[in-house]
Amino acid sequence: MELTDAGLVARVLVDDDQHAYGELVRRHQSSVRGVLRQLTRGDFALADDLAQNAFIRAYKNIRSFRGEAKFSTWLYRIAYNCFREDARKRKELVGINEEQWQAERDPQTVDPGLRHDLMHALSLLPLHERSAVLLCCQNGLSHDEAARVLEIPLGTVKTNVLRGREKLKKTLAAWAES
Amino acid sequence: MNDQIEQDWLDKKLQEAAPYIEDDGFTVRVLQQLPAPQMRWQFLRPLILVAASALASALTYVLSDGGRFIIVEMFKVTTIPTLWVVAFALASGMLVMAGGIVAAMSKSGQIQY
Repeated sequence: MELTDAGLVARVLVDDDQHAYGELVRRHQSSVRGVLRQLTRGDFALADDLAQNAFIRAYKNIRSFRGEAKFSTWLYRIAYNCFREDARKRKELVGINEEQWQAERDPQTVDPGLRHDLMHALSLLPLHERSAVLLCCQNGLSHDEAARVLEIPLGTVKTNVLRGREKLKKTLAAWAES
Repeated sequence: MNDQIEQDWLDKKLQEAAPYIEDDGFTVRVLQQLPAPQMRWQFLRPLILVAASALASALTYVLSDGGRFIIVEMFKVTTIPTLWVVAFALASGMLVMAGGIVAAMSKSGQIQY
């Protein structure tokens, strides 16, 4: 029988079982790397470095995981913090110029295909809306869980998801109609 | 209603647009960078327990004149009235049962939803 995340965490805590931790990494690597790839706007190398840091940090701090939230939620929070710290270092978080970013992305160069358009539309969202949409709509976190990950009030998460969705819907209106 | 359909469509497409990312050695790289497990002394626990039990048994045997007190006590037990033995067995059974009930109740109280 496959162990639950909580069971694997218990093994790591009690026996310092790195095999159990390896299983946790295997289970969650795709979603964590996926979110980070979106947050870094497709910089796969950076996203993977951040994901690696996040998993190592999670291992070192696993004793602070109290099981109040799901392990994945806790992990997303660490990953998001890694991203935020890195973005601060790169002065991208607050200094990012969304208009310039959008201008640099010439819509003419967008490849055909819904997936590409969707990812492109997502990458054009401001960071706070993008992260909320990624966590809630793409990765299925509840608003409450996303609020914990992003460390912002529940109401702000709801607003960000709503605004992000509206923008995506507008951008992808043609696809939705077809 | 239309909004809800659009929202569901968007969420579905977003989920579909996030393909599973193959591990490709990612987990191995993470595991290689984890700090080495701390030196654990847990394997000593059973050894200590066995050694302490053996020592205690040896001491008891020596200090009790070759376990003579056991023979004496066994003899005393055979002289206890049958009714007392029955009452003792009943009381022990009830005590164990009460302990089991308390344990089960405390366990069910721990279940979190």
